[in-house]
Parts: sequence; C-alpha cells; structure tokens
Amino acid sequence: MIIFLQAVADGLQMGLLYALVAVGLAIIWGLMEMINFAHGEFMMLGMFGAWGLSVWLGWDPLVTLIPLAVVMYGLGVLVYRLLMQKVQRGEVFTQIFATVGLFFFIQNGVVALFTSDYRFVEGSLLTRLSGANLSLGGVRIGIPLLVGGLIALGLFLLLYLLIDRTDFGLALQATAEDRDAAMLVGIRPQRMYAVAWGLGTALVAIAGVILANFFSVYPQAGLSFTVLAYAIVALGGFGSILGTLLAALVVGVVQSVTAAYLPPAFKDAFVFASYILIGLFRPQGLFGRF
Amino acid sequence: MAASSPPARAGRAQQVAWVLAILVALLYPLPFERSGQIYYETVGFLVLLNAMLGIGWNIIGGWAGQFDFGPSIFFAIGAYTAALLSIHFGWNAWIALVGAMVVAVVICAALTYPVTRLRGHYFAIATVAMWMIAQPIGATWRLINGSQGLFIPVAAGGSFVHGILTMEFPGRGKGLGFYYLSLLLFAGTLAGARAIERSKWGFYFRAVRDDQDGAEAIGIDSRLYKVIARCLMAAIFAAGGTLYGFWALAVFPDQVLEVNWNILPMMAAVVGGLGRLWGPVLGAIVLIPISQLMTATLGSGPLAGRGIDLIIYGAVIMLIAGWRPNGLLSLPWAEWAARVRGRAPARSAPKSPDRN
Amino acid sequence: MAPLLHVERCTKRFGGLVANRDVSLVIEPGEIVGLIGPNGAGKTTLFSCISGSLHPDEGRIVLDGTDISRARPERVCRLGIARTWQVVRSFGRMTVLENVICGALRRSSRVGPARARALELLAFTGLGGKEDVVAAALTLADKKRLEITRALATSPRLLLLDEAMSGLTPFETTAAVELVRRIHAELGLAICVVEHVMEVVMPLSHRVVVLDHGEKLTEGPPAEVARDERVITAYLGDRYRGRA
Repeated sequence: MIIFLQAVADGLQMGLLYALVAVGLAIIWGLMEMINFAHGEFMMLGMFGAWGLSVWLGWDPLVTLIPLAVVMYGLGVLVYRLLMQKVQRGEVFTQIFATVGLFFFIQNGVVALFTSDYRFVEGSLLTRLSGANLSLGGVRIGIPLLVGGLIALGLFLLLYLLIDRTDFGLALQATAEDRDAAMLVGIRPQRMYAVAWGLGTALVAIAGVILANFFSVYPQAGLSFTVLAYAIVALGGFGSILGTLLAALVVGVVQSVTAAYLPPAFKDAFVFASYILIGLFRPQGLFGRF
Repeated sequence: MAASSPPARAGRAQQVAWVLAILVALLYPLPFERSGQIYYETVGFLVLLNAMLGIGWNIIGGWAGQFDFGPSIFFAIGAYTAALLSIHFGWNAWIALVGAMVVAVVICAALTYPVTRLRGHYFAIATVAMWMIAQPIGATWRLINGSQGLFIPVAAGGSFVHGILTMEFPGRGKGLGFYYLSLLLFAGTLAGARAIERSKWGFYFRAVRDDQDGAEAIGIDSRLYKVIARCLMAAIFAAGGTLYGFWALAVFPDQVLEVNWNILPMMAAVVGGLGRLWGPVLGAIVLIPISQLMTATLGSGPLAGRGIDLIIYGAVIMLIAGWRPNGLLSLPWAEWAARVRGRAPARSAPKSPDRN
Repeated sequence: MAPLLHVERCTKRFGGLVANRDVSLVIEPGEIVGLIGPNGAGKTTLFSCISGSLHPDEGRIVLDGTDISRARPERVCRLGIARTWQVVRSFGRMTVLENVICGALRRSSRVGPARARALELLAFTGLGGKEDVVAAALTLADKKRLEITRALATSPRLLLLDEAMSGLTPFETTAAVELVRRIHAELGLAICVVEHVMEVVMPLSHRVVVLDHGEKLTEGPPAEVARDERVITAYLGDRYRGRA
C-alpha cells in the first residue's frame, strides 16, 4: 500500500511539471488548432540551455530560467513567422509535415553539436537539496521535486491569470473564438498567433530547465514528452487550461503507478495507450474548450 | 519528318521514357557485377525498397490524406512474421511473405479501426503513440527473442534462379539477387497501386481526404476506407520488411523499428509528389543516393553518426512544406523544358493536379 | 400511400440551446416540401438530424419503415437520402467528373458503369463540357450544380437541398429553379428545400412547413401559409432588419 501511495505522491509532483510541458501545446491548439510535433524538442532545448549555461558559466538553472525563457519565447515567435504562418492557411497535412521537419531538424541539430551522450546538471541548488525530504505518514516527498513542482504551479497560476484576467488574455480568447470577429474589433490575429507560439515555446522550455535538475539531458528526450503532452491535452479537453492541469496530474499518477509495478520500459506505454482509448471513447476530453 | 501535334509528341515521349526506364531498371546492376562493386547494387536495392514503401505510404498519406508517422511497426511485423515462419516451420520465403502480409493486415485492421474517429493531428499522434509502444514490446518480447534478435538460417549453395525462388543468396550473387528481388516486388507494388488508383477504392480514398463529411453524405464509410488504406500500406510494408529480413538474415527490433523506416518512405512520397503514383519513385531515386553519399563521406569523420542526414531531411521537409507542398512532380518541368528549347510552352487545358 | 419520411417529435439540444423542439413532419414520395423560417429557426439542424450528421436527443426519424434516428450518414445515404449543404462542398482536388463518379459508385461498384452514369447526369444537370475541370476552380453556381449532380448520382429517393439558391445572381437562381423542376419531373424523387427566397420556394413547393425558434409553427399549401398571421409575424422583424 505504501508503494502505491508513494507512487501517487511522486506522480502528483511530476504531474505539475507535466502540466507546464503540456499547457503550451494547449494554448497553441486552443488558438489555432495546430499541433507541434517539435513541442518536446523545445523542451529539450531548454534542458540543454540549462545544462550548457551551468557548465560554461556556472550559473544555476533557477537563475538561467528567466533569460532562457525569453530566448525561447523569441525562438517560438521566429518559428511561427518563418514557417508556421506559411502553412497555417493550407492543409492540415502540410502543417503536420512542417513541424515534423522541425522536429528532425532540431533534434539532430543538437545531436550534431553535442552527440547523443547523456549529460547531467550538477551542483545546482535543487540537486544540492536532494537529501532533504518531507515525510507524510511514511510517504517520502523529496524537497527538490516539490520545489520544482511548486515553481511549475506558480507559473501555471500566472498563466491562468494572464489568460483569464488581463485584456491581452481576453484578446487571445477572442481570437480563438472567432478570428474574423476579433479582427473586426481591432485585434491582429497574426500577432496573437505569434505570441501564442512564443508563450507555448517559453513555457515548455521552462519546464525543460526545471526538469534538467532531475533528469538526464540528451537530444532524444523530446519525443516522448511531445506524445505525453498531447495525451494530456487530449484528456484535458483541447484548449482548456484548467483541464490541462488536472489531466497532467492524472497522467503523472498513472505513469508513476505503472512504473512502480511494470518494467520501466513500459512506463510511457500505458499513457500512450490511454491516449488511444480517449480518442475512442471520449474524444472531447474531460473539459471543454479554451 | 512532318511536324506532329503536341499531344502525339507527348504520347511518344512517354512511351520512350517507359522503355528507357525499364531498360535502366533491368540493366542497372550488371556493370557493377562485372566490376565487383556490390555496394552500388545495394544502393539500387535500397532505392527500390524505399520506393516500394513510399508507394505504400502514399496510399494512406497521399490518397487518403491521413498522416501516418509509424508505418515501421508493420515493416517490423512483416520481418518478424516471415522470420518466425521460416525458422519454426521452414516455410519458403515467398510463402512466408504472404503470411507476413496477412498478419500485418489483421493487426493493422485491429489497431486502426478504433482510431479512425480521429482526424488530422490526432490520428498522426496516435500513430506515433503506436510506434512508441511497439519499441519496448520489440525489445522485451521473448517470442521474438527481444533485443537479441532472430536469425534466419540459409541453406548453402544454390543457383541464381533457386535464389530468386527462395530469397537465399549465400555468398556471391547476393547483391545482384536482392536487387532483382526488390525490382520484382517494386514492380508488383507499382502495378497493384496503379490498379487501385483507378478503382472504386482509389476514388473513395481521395474523397475521404478532400472532404470526410461530404464523403459520408454520399454513402462512403470513411472509417472503413481509412482502415483499408492503412491495411494496404501495412501489407506493402510487411512485404518490404520480409525482403529486408531475408537480406539482413537477422531481425533486430531497433533496426526494423528504426526511425528511418518511418521517415524515408514518407519523404520519398512527399518530395516526389504526394498523391501521385510515381512520386515516391522519384523521391526515392533522389533521396537514397543522397543519404548514402552523406553516410559515405561523413562515415568515419568527426561528424559521423551525428544525424547530419536527418538534419538535412528536416530542413528539406520544412522547405517543401513552406514553399512547395506539392513536391517535385508539381514543378513546371514541361514549361522549363520548353523554355530551354527556346519555345513558348504549349497552351494546354487545365489538368487535374492528381493526374500523373 | 405510406409516407417516405416521417420525422416524429424531433428534439435536438446544443447545451442550453434547443435547436429543434418536438418537430414533426411527413414527406410523401414524390412531393416537394419547402422548409422555411427565419434565421436560427433550426432548419439546417433538422436536415442534419435527418441525414445522420447529427442525432436527435428525443424523437424518431423513420424512412420508409426503417428507423434512422441513430444511423450514420453513410447508412442514411445508402437507404436513399442525399443532401446538399448550406456552405457548398465538393472534393476540391478532383475533377467534376471524378466528383460525380464518387457518388455513382454508391450504386455500381465498378468504375466503368459509374463513369457512364456520371457522364449522363452531368449532361442532364447542364455541366456537360466541364467534366475535366478541377472542382475547386468552378464558379459558385457550378459548384452547387456539381453538388446536386453528385447527390443525384447516389440514386436517392429523397433529396434535401439546403439553401441551394443562396449566393446566386437572379439569373443563376432561375436556372437553378429550372433544374430542381426538371429533377422532380424526370426523376420523380421527393425533394425538401430549405430556402429564404420566397419567390423561389412558394411556386416550387407542393407543401410548405414553417419553423420558428426550433418549433414547427404551421404547415400547408404555399398560398395558405403565406397568408397565415403567425408566419407573417415571425418574419416581420426580419423584413424590417432586411430593409435597414
């Protein structure tokens, strides 16, 4: 029983980080009905950024989090303006295809520069806390992961406030609702889309920076996160931010419990299978739209 | 000679092109056989194999318009089924090939029907998910020896003809033999695809692609036809996997599920011209030699194994998506040719872009 | 004569909005029924329920004795109902002929006979000579004509036309009405027409059904319905808004 509870606790903490990974996808989807095959690659770039800066400048990932987020925001906007804008009005097929190309380009670009070796962020603040634990009735909660999860939760809340309480967020929602009507009231959809891409990319990169404290950093890390993110967004009901958070928690727990009882290679298989099951039985997810 | 009308000239040009293509295909490996450069025969083999897979991918991707990112699972199913049938029952390679195709189609139908409710991106991700689930299964399943692989036994000796009949070429003659085997399978696939394109299925696939709801309203069961299209692809990939298995004489999960078997057929189809019968062929002819060249020149240098070829593929894909989504066959070759010859291009009736 | 289509108390909700409430109507074989009502009355929703794209939350839809309330669109087509759409649909990347062949393949599995039938129908509906034009390149009027031809190719017993005249010039509208007349006269099928243009619907229909805010207001011969006080009231606001 304790194993199960431990797995649930670990799963919830990971779920918070997964929520951060997935929410960018939810925003982009909710706004433009576009999916990004390379979503996980941006996360991987965040991981490499955190690792690289910690190795070359000795800066802690928690410090480099903000500059990296800004850079990745810019990258997201660039990708939108250079590529996605061109394919947005065309066929779905070409859109998928474009981000598949991006996926291969980024992943193997990193392989070319850094090889496929596994790297580790060492000596960061969070990893130095790794001995510290909270104990709740026999269930061990590691401080580092807890802190990481809380940062993710905090960002999530900020995002929620941005979308729900600011004028800008309202503009974003309006464009998602009805692009042409939004244009009529002076909102520029292209600008919204670019921002959405920037935001989505920055958020998933931040998740990467945090995750770099706990996971090995290597170029192929991205794809399974992409599929995971997609499963989360599908479960949460494409476009719903709150739904994404809850779904991410569910997925985190499912994955953690699966890992506790099955061979580690199957850890993700169960989640992916759930994606297929959701598509079959409840394609609208648990919640509604943006 | 008296001047002939443009359509007649085009018709004759097409006939000449056909004859030339067949001659090249049949005679290609012979000079290399003489000079002992088996490597080039193998390149030819890979071109034909990928062209065949590309035609298969075109059925689901180009005609039915559904993006499939994980067709390699059927390549693997084909290779493993054929290997198992050969090892445990001693079946002849060609019979094992048929068995592999049947198994692949059954599994494909079972896997695909549930996800046919999904469209566009959702379907694509589902195929990725299937591929990712297949990997740990392949690595750990005892029936297929997991990551240690299966080895296909080959009887010693045998003439060339015997080799063609059993897909076994111990010793010399392997490069030549597998080239012609792949040519045979490729020709069969091409003929089959051509027949399907002109049949009811061909129309229905394209209807589902162009407007799924509209297709349903005229009585087309879109889910059924998505499954049929994917099963046709699965059958072709399984045949390709069988061929590959007998060529490699061993089946390893990370080799048959490798990402290249996902991406190269797809790229061949898109680069050459999505939805057009000869698209994947043109794409394979262009892409495989380039990939082999990159492997050769970067093979042992400091950039080896660094995925440079995939970087280039990625860049090419993005370029095509952004600027030339209809592929190489959609470029105005006829106009350019006419301009080179110094004449204005002939005015012709607007053609359907899906005609080859 | 038993009715061809019987819609029994069809109710369809979208969240809080009741698009169709308790709508019942009957279509006899071979008759032309006009379905009119102000915008938002629920006409297209009703069509979608009949054709299978949507399913009623309550009530039944029976086609010649077969309950099609929960049938998928392809089954409904197989049983004999074809429809056109408010926003015209076609297989944009295929030619005109190929579009119609897709429809004709419903009745003959081989491409040869389907092709012959498609050519006949294209001549009948006036698209002869445009067989090799890519559908996406057609004018709106021709696209609508193609949509109708493709629907006819499935050999329906009931044809649902959803605002087939919208977006057409007066000249094109007259031609379209002529086509509907000819289809009815020579092919003898039942037709249900959703239309806003009164000058089109009234002369064409044997009977008219009026919907308003999701409910059936009244039905009857066109002349009676046109004089009905409630119908005039339902449209009165529209007429003023139209003039502004």
